[in-house]
Amino acid sequence: MNNKKKVLTFLLLLPVFVLALHLSTGTAGTALKHPMEVEAPVMCSQCHTDWRASMDHSAEFGGLRHKFSARQNKQTCGLCHVESFCADCHGVNEGLKPSDKYKDAPERALPHRGDYLNQHKIDGRINPASCMKCHGRQNNERCRVCHK
Amino acid sequence: MNSIQSCQQARSGTPMMQIIIGLVLLSFFSIIPGIPGKALAANIAGESRTYMQYRETAAGDKLLPLYEYLDFTVQDLGKESISVHFGGWLGYDLSNNSFGGNADKDRSVQYGYVSYRAKEDNTVVNLGRVMVFEGVASERLDGIYARTDIKGGFGVSVYGGASTILTEPNDNTIYGGRLSHQSAGLYTLGISYLKQERNGSSFREEEGIDLWLQPVNKVAITGSSSYNKKTTGWMEHAYYLMLGPFDKLRFNTEASWINYADYFAGTTTNVFDMTPGGPIDPREKVNILGEEIFYSIDTNWALSVDYKKYGYDIAGNANYYGAKATYVLPKSYNAGLSIHKMDGDTNRLKYDEYRIYASKKIDKIDVTVDFLDVKYKEPINTVTNAYSVTLAAGYELTEKLKLGADLEYSKNPEFDKEVRAFLKINYRFDAELGKRKGV
Repeated sequence: MNNKKKVLTFLLLLPVFVLALHLSTGTAGTALKHPMEVEAPVMCSQCHTDWRASMDHSAEFGGLRHKFSARQNKQTCGLCHVESFCADCHGVNEGLKPSDKYKDAPERALPHRGDYLNQHKIDGRINPASCMKCHGRQNNERCRVCHK
Repeated sequence: MNSIQSCQQARSGTPMMQIIIGLVLLSFFSIIPGIPGKALAANIAGESRTYMQYRETAAGDKLLPLYEYLDFTVQDLGKESISVHFGGWLGYDLSNNSFGGNADKDRSVQYGYVSYRAKEDNTVVNLGRVMVFEGVASERLDGIYARTDIKGGFGVSVYGGASTILTEPNDNTIYGGRLSHQSAGLYTLGISYLKQERNGSSFREEEGIDLWLQPVNKVAITGSSSYNKKTTGWMEHAYYLMLGPFDKLRFNTEASWINYADYFAGTTTNVFDMTPGGPIDPREKVNILGEEIFYSIDTNWALSVDYKKYGYDIAGNANYYGAKATYVLPKSYNAGLSIHKMDGDTNRLKYDEYRIYASKKIDKIDVTVDFLDVKYKEPINTVTNAYSVTLAAGYELTEKLKLGADLEYSKNPEFDKEVRAFLKINYRFDAELGKRKGV
């Protein structure tokens, strides 16, 4: 990013944020840590009946639905997860597949377990959009070995 | 520049990255005890994960990569509101083939930033290499991210900087933001915007709506729609309806629609450069309807059935359905069994999928067995039954130090037999550093 664009970006961002701070409410923010230890499988609905109940960690939450919670309320994820938890899959330019790192956690809904070299050809036909999310603009060096 | 060249990652050597690393290291070393004038109190916590993998390529090359993943967080840095976050990995090739002869693939700073977080209004300002998940944005960038709640139930977030995924970090700008409104317990509605430029021209421009709505107790809808302003078309609508829990039952319904022409614009790999009439047609549109019913038998046993219907405008339809049973004894035992069937209009989309796993922890030892089997209706490279078996074992030397080893054997259309081995050392650390005298 050249200097002119840096200046433009910051000029665009800072007034918006300063105005937002001026309008802040002074109400307490989300806690840094969950007040009690939570055991897997995490079912938020066991204690919560509001929006947190929709964060029950079912298989499809780990697969696709967690993105909606993260994009609306990432600070809630931070109650239990440190940033490296997200980076294990979304860190970009990954050295190792998440499923290689977590073979001792078979309950986790990680992508690409087993023979994915062959299976990706099938999954890519079924729903290529599911590939695009992680590999469309990043983390696609391995794709380019064959897709030249 | 073609798409393949453009998808190279920005590495640690970019000027912005040097600034980030400088900030992180400065913050880190400023709290090390014994350095004169550095009496800031702070807590550091993190994890070192060392991995060594053995595997073979289809061409028979033996790969032996060694990885060190390090992440840490320094909190209470002088003031409780300042913290430093770092995560990254280094790879070392023990066989000269592991990284495809490309030395650039052997390291990555995943994130590294200084964060200010106020006690009120969820105000956060992150500076450095940050991961941003806000509305249409799921990005990693070298720059700034800030968010806060404001009056009247509104919230605002903004971000800007250089994207880390393009080759032109000196002329590559990404910025955007999200404005949201919430009525506690009823809804959160957000609108978001993202623009990415490279070489002075627009690369991506996306707008989005995201929603969480709970009209009555035990009924919630969440999802988002995204619009491609460059191609002037909706990219995706994806929504979930969640019902329950009703005693032991929960229902999750998914409804998604994706328009390939608008969704796959702005990619950096030619995998998604589709051609009309090709295996995946850019004129394709897909509807996905899914249902998952989850039943908790008791605190340990659970059953679920799921169904997903893929409806394509061009390629026909496919149905994926099955069931899963799980047994969990927290911190002791974990097992699961699932059976699924894919039934598509073409033979390639007809297969059965079986999985069974069990993980048991006995004192300081844990053992895991995982078996995954896929039976294809149509042979692929003469193979109709592809499977993999994994054995994993771990031993806690201390509360913070754990050793582990995995062995995976598989047979599939690409390999008659494939053996992968994996060794790992996990070390968690935490310390209070630079504590003031008398405190």
